[in-house]
Amino acid sequence: MKTIPMHLNVNGEDYHIMVKPNQVLLDVLRDDLELTGTKEGCGLGKCGACTVLLDKRPVHSCLVLALQADGCEITTIEGIGGKQLHPLQESFVEKGAIQCGFCTPGMITTAKALLDENPNPSEEDIKLAIAGNLCRCTGYHKIVDAIHSCTCESLKASKEGRDD
Amino acid sequence: MTQLDIVGKSFPQIAAREKASGYTKFVTDLVRPRMLHGRVLRSPHPHARIRSVDTAKAAALPGVRAVITYADTPQIKFGPRSEDWTIFADDKTRFHGDEVAAVAAIDLDTAEEALDLIEVEYEPLDYVISPIEAMAAGAPLVHDDKPGNIASEFKIEAGNVDKALDESYVVYEDKFYTSQVYQAFMEPMSILAEVDLSGRLTIRTGTQIPNMMRMTYAKALGMSPENIRIIVPEYGGGFGGKMENNIHLIASVLAQKTGQPVRLVNTRHEDFLAGNPRVPMHFDIKLGATRDGILTAKDVNVVGAAGARLVYSQVIVSTACYRVDSLYRFKNVRAKGYTIYTNTVPTACYRGFGNSQSTFVLESAMDELAHQLKIDPAELRIKNGMGPNETSVHGWKIASSGLIECIAKTREAANWDQKKKDKTPYKGIGLACCNHVSGNHPFAREFDGGSGIVRIGKDGRVIVYHGESDMGQGQNTTFAQIAAECLGVPMDVVNVAQVDTDISPFGLGSFATRGTLMGGNGVLAAAKDAKKQLVKIASELLKVPVDAVQCKKGLFSVRQSSQKTLFSGQSSSQKTISFKEVASQATIKHHGAPIVGIGFYKPPTELPDPETKKGNISPAYPFGCQIAEVEVDPDTGQVTVTNFYAAHDVGRAINPMATEGQIQGGIAQGLGWTLMEDMTYENGKMNNADFVDYIVPSCFDVPDVKTFLVEPIEPNGPYGAKGIGEPALNPTMAAITNAIYDATGIRIKKLPVNPQKLLAAMKQSK
Repeated sequence: MKTIPMHLNVNGEDYHIMVKPNQVLLDVLRDDLELTGTKEGCGLGKCGACTVLLDKRPVHSCLVLALQADGCEITTIEGIGGKQLHPLQESFVEKGAIQCGFCTPGMITTAKALLDENPNPSEEDIKLAIAGNLCRCTGYHKIVDAIHSCTCESLKASKEGRDD
Repeated sequence: MTQLDIVGKSFPQIAAREKASGYTKFVTDLVRPRMLHGRVLRSPHPHARIRSVDTAKAAALPGVRAVITYADTPQIKFGPRSEDWTIFADDKTRFHGDEVAAVAAIDLDTAEEALDLIEVEYEPLDYVISPIEAMAAGAPLVHDDKPGNIASEFKIEAGNVDKALDESYVVYEDKFYTSQVYQAFMEPMSILAEVDLSGRLTIRTGTQIPNMMRMTYAKALGMSPENIRIIVPEYGGGFGGKMENNIHLIASVLAQKTGQPVRLVNTRHEDFLAGNPRVPMHFDIKLGATRDGILTAKDVNVVGAAGARLVYSQVIVSTACYRVDSLYRFKNVRAKGYTIYTNTVPTACYRGFGNSQSTFVLESAMDELAHQLKIDPAELRIKNGMGPNETSVHGWKIASSGLIECIAKTREAANWDQKKKDKTPYKGIGLACCNHVSGNHPFAREFDGGSGIVRIGKDGRVIVYHGESDMGQGQNTTFAQIAAECLGVPMDVVNVAQVDTDISPFGLGSFATRGTLMGGNGVLAAAKDAKKQLVKIASELLKVPVDAVQCKKGLFSVRQSSQKTLFSGQSSSQKTISFKEVASQATIKHHGAPIVGIGFYKPPTELPDPETKKGNISPAYPFGCQIAEVEVDPDTGQVTVTNFYAAHDVGRAINPMATEGQIQGGIAQGLGWTLMEDMTYENGKMNNADFVDYIVPSCFDVPDVKTFLVEPIEPNGPYGAKGIGEPALNPTMAAITNAIYDATGIRIKKLPVNPQKLLAAMKQSK
């Protein structure tokens, strides 16, 4: 199959790559850029494990053709934290929101988009945001709790404290 | 017991930071130089004779490295229990999704294209999906040598059931059905297989039973077990479903044929079609009681669908026949179990292992008895519930039991007594209890305990080796806590090695809620051995006798109680030496050899008598009670679970946060089974084999769950702990359906209850 050149900015780095027209963004991230933090759980946009931020908006990267993202900014789980974990990631760790961890990258990227837009979400806001992200281990309680307890203050403190 | 520093405290999983950052490499993330991608061609028919397979065109496609069928395998019959497996379908396919051929190619697109080029001529045969129909005369035979499609039969009887039922004041008799449901772990089944120049095979896969799987696969491949190495990377959930599966063997044969590493990842659709979902079961139950509500007898008949081959369904059906009998003080019980071949996906373990099916049935029947006898359902359970230091009808020695306290805790928290009185139309409250095991001697038969190795290097870092399996439930963290507590070191110096059959002990694996107790006791024994060696070195360095030495928080010192006699107030009583320093000195003294502690735990269990099935099969028995509150929409039949209360006897919770996470997760799965999940068939084919049509609970479906840990110290548990994995789900189904009964008067006898079913039943009852 012929390949087509495209440009992506992923986690702040520019990539000029050749992709197949039928290649989805998820496969480009995982196979070509070796960013395997983003997971494939169903390939049909029904589990949310492949969620990444495309120009700051959460998308199912298994349903986005790579070429649709030409020139876009992508944030994957690897780009959420810098050298240290992001407070949201810390919160997932501390609150026991991670069991097998396969849904975690998608959950965290989804939650990051929510908190960027609304730093003080209600429990209902959180559930609305992650309603498309399946987790089979936790029953969701600790995930909702982890996002909920990652408050405006802790986010602000982290922004001031971080040098990245 | 002395003050505990680590055990009993909540710690995040030791792998949580890697998982949160996306750093963790799951099985599906693994890559190798020259790695090929495997894909499987699956049968489009539920039952068909294979007339011919032509792989020539597929093999000729550029980029294809191997195309294999049954003819390319050793053609040895094998299986984890019953040797009715072949790596691919032999002369016929037996279910929609059965493995027919496979391809290894340089990329997935090529592999996919090659699948389309394989030409298979099928002659469709009559098929049978329901195990009841499969038992009937004239039904199509799944295996030609198995008349009546009977794969296995099980019988158990104790006391005099007929007499006891005759003499009962009330007997409830009914039929129940529990559906086939899918584990839906978030990472599909997957494997990376590699073969070295000598032919030695290395398998990296998410498996709950690495060591037992190795034995089964050695037989299938005609190899010595020593020539197979299984490594278990982090993997995305199991819930009973990640055990033996043909994709592991297919990838292995592809790796053997090509000499290149092969990664094979199920699509989600394939995982539905050919994973190993829960055994669907038909039950007939008779349950008797006296006028005072004392249980007199239980009589059940169980028919379970094995699917096209036996994975563990026969053991699961036998478990459904009798495990639940040790929840109450039964004297007279009888059960017959039939495991029946059907033209469906082979069924197997899913959290609860048959006991969840039978708990749904028994706890529904208990609710009916309570209603008929006009006894509060909680009281009925308290009257009959198994207490500590009792022996059940099957000879199970219940050392600790927090069952009654679990009932009390949930009852109080839910305000049960008040809510049972205050009836609001279409609102209801329901209660169900459960028991389970922590290990199951007859499952592996040769032994049932656990073992461990604890290695302490020159730098004082502790590495724990075990042969069980952390599928995400947090077992490694539990083991690290046990080792840290025993050694007297902080958690951050303890690592847990990934399971590798070349290095790890021969652990039986993660099933039967056995990890914490069996694996934990094995790790504890190893840590004690290592500690003994370290204490000896420390005593030499501190110049005090070994029994005067203690280690706390990474510091060896002289015990308070010994200081007076040894030093009588001298300043040397303050002498301490760090754990790290002792480890370093030990390695120097031993010319580089690390401290290696090794140990095992032999539980006080027995194999059941072959005739009576009597025998104490587990060292400990967890119990629990759950209460659900529901609201039913009278116009749509939609059930909303509004509140949930769960109290579980877990022995001592090694890690309360992780234990609570297990309970919350188990309830979410049980709720899915009760209200949403059912693998359905149309024209012999599964018709909802993906997350579009098979809906699992989202965050909106799961109610707020209030959890309570009831912690009687279990004498056989490591630091008093039992297990929690399976009991977390066992009572959930009946708790919800009993609440639906309370809300509507409709008794749900078939899982799941979807709005259409409930609405129809409500209309009919009016």
